[in-house]
Amino acid sequence: MRYQLLYQPVSTMAQFDLEQGEQLLVEPGAMVGMTPGLDMITGLAKQSGGGGIFGAITAAAGRLLAGESFFQNTFTATRGPEQLLLAHTLPGDMAMIDVQGAGLKLQSTAFVASTPGVQTTGEFGGARTFFGGEGLFLLSATANAPNQQILIGAFGGIQELQCNGSLVIDTGHLVAWDASLTFNVTKASSGWISSYLTGEGLVCSFQGQGRIWMQTRNPPEFGSKVGRLLPPRTN
Amino acid sequence: MQYEIRQRPNFSIARITFDAPGEELVVEAAAMVAKDSAVTMKTSMRGGLLGAAKRKMLGGESLFQNTFTATRAGETIWVAPAAEGDMAAFDMDGQQPLYLSSGNYIASGPGITLDSQFQGLKGFFSGTSFFMLEAKGQGPLLIGSYGGIHPVQVGPAGYIVDNYHIVAFTGGLQYNVRRVGGLKSIFGGSEGLVCHFHGQGTVWISTRSAASLARFLHPYRPVESKS
Amino acid sequence: MHHQISHEPAFSMLRVDLDPGDIFVSEAGAMAAKSTHVQMDAKLTVRPNAGFVTTLGAMFAAFIRKALGGESFFVTHYTTNAPGTVWITPTMSGSIVHRRLEPGQRLTLSAGAYVASSGDIDVIVKYAGLRGILAKEGAFFLEILGNGGDIWFNSYGGVDAIDVNGTYIVDNGHIVGWEGALTFDIKSAGGGLIGMVASGEGMVCEFKGQGRVYIQSRNFGSLIDWLSPLLPG
Repeated sequence: MRYQLLYQPVSTMAQFDLEQGEQLLVEPGAMVGMTPGLDMITGLAKQSGGGGIFGAITAAAGRLLAGESFFQNTFTATRGPEQLLLAHTLPGDMAMIDVQGAGLKLQSTAFVASTPGVQTTGEFGGARTFFGGEGLFLLSATANAPNQQILIGAFGGIQELQCNGSLVIDTGHLVAWDASLTFNVTKASSGWISSYLTGEGLVCSFQGQGRIWMQTRNPPEFGSKVGRLLPPRTN
Repeated sequence: MQYEIRQRPNFSIARITFDAPGEELVVEAAAMVAKDSAVTMKTSMRGGLLGAAKRKMLGGESLFQNTFTATRAGETIWVAPAAEGDMAAFDMDGQQPLYLSSGNYIASGPGITLDSQFQGLKGFFSGTSFFMLEAKGQGPLLIGSYGGIHPVQVGPAGYIVDNYHIVAFTGGLQYNVRRVGGLKSIFGGSEGLVCHFHGQGTVWISTRSAASLARFLHPYRPVESKS
Repeated sequence: MHHQISHEPAFSMLRVDLDPGDIFVSEAGAMAAKSTHVQMDAKLTVRPNAGFVTTLGAMFAAFIRKALGGESFFVTHYTTNAPGTVWITPTMSGSIVHRRLEPGQRLTLSAGAYVASSGDIDVIVKYAGLRGILAKEGAFFLEILGNGGDIWFNSYGGVDAIDVNGTYIVDNGHIVGWEGALTFDIKSAGGGLIGMVASGEGMVCEFKGQGRVYIQSRNFGSLIDWLSPLLPG
């Protein structure tokens, strides 16, 4: 499967050129354009190791709780070569990342698409993720075949960082990380008052060896800066 | 006049340099960013009250437009859209019209006319709008969009574009509104309705949808107090 | 101290590598990531050892800034006991511009443009009054005085520098800052009464003199105006 990331880094759009028989799993709403011969099937997200319909529903429910859609669209080039254009909802970059070893953890809205051998499921991240500003659920991605990739979308530019031992990331800037890393939510500064006054509050402190993808803008911070100036909503 | 689009693709801004005194540039209201002090501005309703009102009501453009006139060669004016995104420039040849989704017009030479074109009921179903803005005539035309602007040459098989992502298309294209996927896709797949283009020509699509940004920001708005 | 600006122009990020003894200052809430051992402290002034009067002045300035919804009340000081890194990002999309200020050099910035500084830099809040409000830049500007120091400022949108020699008009809401022998006045954009009411341009700023004006290619007010009709209920 060939792909190209166009209009990087702000209005990044992924152009996939699929050969006959190739497939892509896509987050609903991400399709911008396509050749008319491409087949789209809407279904429950794929579940690892079968698990039957119940397993599929559980995985889909997990995805829903993680802020992703209950459904996933499968695009298939059934009859011949086809083209598919995908974009993220917010302005920012996208990146194709390999699913390695223990898999990846994703912040809830980062998933855009994946190769067909990737399963994504919602995962309870515990209270720490809630306080970390990511919501209680994370998306956990694993691969059941070699060379599987996920297309992630971010708000802002994407910076890949290598965690060698320890690294601190502001909660709103976190996109994805290798599942081999552990993290806990801590205060940004040595004291509570200072942490609050620096405007950072709580941050994610990672331990271990692995990759972290961070976004160069913070969606909640942007949302509140722009949102408070918008006309009031009724609901 | 010469123009150059800078700060592409996200914060595109056009710098127009006038070649001679008396040259004119028509600019959508509020799109001017900076100019030489001597460049004069006149505000008017182009095409008269009816024409302007129709464009505003139906094409989503402003009621008034500003005409900037150079007083000597070399004077500059800068124009930019409100949204974060790219701009595109067209040298209109007087032959083929260009259709614009509402809100994408930024500036043009005086030889370009704008008119709202009824798109029939398909406009309603496509989620864009009933009307597209038809630009014809000769001279430069500057448009702007939220997101990047991606040209697609429509081949014999046609091309499908999500309804919220259409920026402009050339006059030689037709489209109809289609549903992709089954009934389920309307509820869960959110792809729902798309525009299927066919014919010979180019469609320009935006790589981001303004509706998505609005949906993201919605929860951050203040809540209206019930009093 | 080594610094690098990446992801220009829209999603610019500032990376600063700190050595023991370095002091780096940023606006509050701007840290995106850091080495675990880099220490953060909330302070009222950009100067590390500000005297009582300076602190008092800074407090007053901070209160005004806060009240106007511009910058945050505090700034963050970063120090370290071993080499470490801090990544800084602004809230809005746009550029980060670095400017080294040698003794006697000064730069005027709109109140929201300050991102970070280091070295011998003073940030003074100056009252701009009605002129500033009509320029949609707020009633206060920041006067940055250098004595051998670095300043990083940001814009909403890309930054273009216009060298002015004579007069030049900039739409209100698009000024990031200026330097040199420049004054500015508020004017109507022209076009008489209709122009005033219906052009959508309203007031503009006319710069006079010799110097450099930094303009931003997007305008925060226009973003709000553009978004408002697109919003659901």
